[in-house]
Amino acid sequence: MIFFDDVWFEYEPNQPVLRNLSLQIQPGETVALMGENGAGKTTLAKHINGLLKPTRGTVYLEGVDTRKTSTAQLARKVGFVFQNADHQLFADTLQAEIGFGLRNLNFSKEEIDERVNRFLTLFELTKYQDQSPFLLSGGERKRLALASVLCVEPQVLILDEPTQAQDALQKQKLLDFIASFRKSNHILLLVTHDVEFAVKAVDRIVVLSQGELIADGTPRQILSNLSILERARLLPPQLTQFAHQLAEHEPRFPTDLLTLTEAVKAVNQILRRSR
Amino acid sequence: MKRHMAAIFEAFRFKQKHTFMHGLDPRTTFFMAVCFSVLAMLFLELLPLLIIILSMLPFVLLAKSIGQWSRSLKGLAFLAGFILIINSYFISFSFAVSTVLRLTALMTAFSIFFLTVHPDDFAQALIEMHIPYEFAFAFSMAVRYVPTIATETETIRDAQMSRGLELESGNILQRVRNYIPILIPVIVSSIRRALQVAESLESRAFGSTASRTSLYGLKLRKRDFALMIYSLLLLLLGLYVTFILRTMLPSPLPDWFFWTFPF
Repeated sequence: MIFFDDVWFEYEPNQPVLRNLSLQIQPGETVALMGENGAGKTTLAKHINGLLKPTRGTVYLEGVDTRKTSTAQLARKVGFVFQNADHQLFADTLQAEIGFGLRNLNFSKEEIDERVNRFLTLFELTKYQDQSPFLLSGGERKRLALASVLCVEPQVLILDEPTQAQDALQKQKLLDFIASFRKSNHILLLVTHDVEFAVKAVDRIVVLSQGELIADGTPRQILSNLSILERARLLPPQLTQFAHQLAEHEPRFPTDLLTLTEAVKAVNQILRRSR
Repeated sequence: MKRHMAAIFEAFRFKQKHTFMHGLDPRTTFFMAVCFSVLAMLFLELLPLLIIILSMLPFVLLAKSIGQWSRSLKGLAFLAGFILIINSYFISFSFAVSTVLRLTALMTAFSIFFLTVHPDDFAQALIEMHIPYEFAFAFSMAVRYVPTIATETETIRDAQMSRGLELESGNILQRVRNYIPILIPVIVSSIRRALQVAESLESRAFGSTASRTSLYGLKLRKRDFALMIYSLLLLLLGLYVTFILRTMLPSPLPDWFFWTFPF
């Protein structure tokens, strides 16, 4: 469980980036952290694995105060995939890159080999296994970064803007992976601006604005609430925009639609009524 | 320790202020920095080095940058500690201290320069000194990217620590090796960025005209000449002491000049 107890954080004195923030995430939850640029999303995420320690208040990971432990120790429990894959790739080969975290955490040789192979296969990178990571394309590097964090099989996985610069196919693959991850008892935290992606990927959305938690609920509650979206400078999903515009002409039309199936059903009902 | 890299860079990050030092011609400040650095390289005795540092402090004060300067000294503490231990072990404590003082003097000289001169103004100064525009531009770009790379280095360190990298474990050799997963991404992403910047420069017609004109020119004023003469005189004094007085026998220099720690 992740527990933020009245957390304040400032990089520069008297300029809080996180204010009065309390939040609980239970095992098995998949959460999207959303908000405008500079809202404090990445700052919040960095508190979970102890890269940042709160100025005031406490962050607990499975009951342990992050102040009393180190990021390296927390690395076994928390995996953090940074926005830019180039910020973490360094090894000579893909195998060594994926094995880096496992070696740091003193996994046995057999265990390392087994996991490296498993994750190379899972992310369709086996054919490059002896190549340099720097020869891969942008999308492949992103996948390698993901694989090299996931191979530790952390209980908490944080993905910072995973859909940036990814084509539709890669996004779908990421969704498939997240879907398999959701079935486990792990926590997934997604830092993103991509509302369309969040709708499909998570079952809870936490909205930050100027360092404060302004909303916390299901995608349906959050993404149909235009005033919250506007405050956090998020573009409503196209379906929500569609529903709101249609509701102006047809007041009975539901505005909290999330999926295409729901929208088709609602439109069909109206068509049937007007016939 | 955690933020020491960024703290060192803090000493070289230009901040726009309206002070006597910021109003100087960049050529003057550069000349001063060079004079004081040469002075620092001339001496390895404790007290003369201390005098050199003290003689620079008024300029740090004039630039209203004591805060930034002292923060960068703290950033230097890690390196200084390292030098102190190694040199006291192999040579002597006095030598170790004077090496640290020399480093401080060099850093102070150049931090005055970088804190008070806007990179664009320095590029302009180079151009007016008839250095080709491409070189002047390359220089100002290099300076411009120091803070960017510093920030990026921190992100990279965070990313690798999240993968269980421990920087402060093992013996000295191991500790140096711990930095490889940070250094390689820094270098690789700097090269990637350099290529991108080159492409974007070319797409904006960089170098399309042979001779460029400038909107703002630079002009040396009386205070510039005064400060240049002041630094030149100090440099000449330093050269005189080193190459004339120090070689004379018996030494005409006072005892305090050679003072060292009695252990």
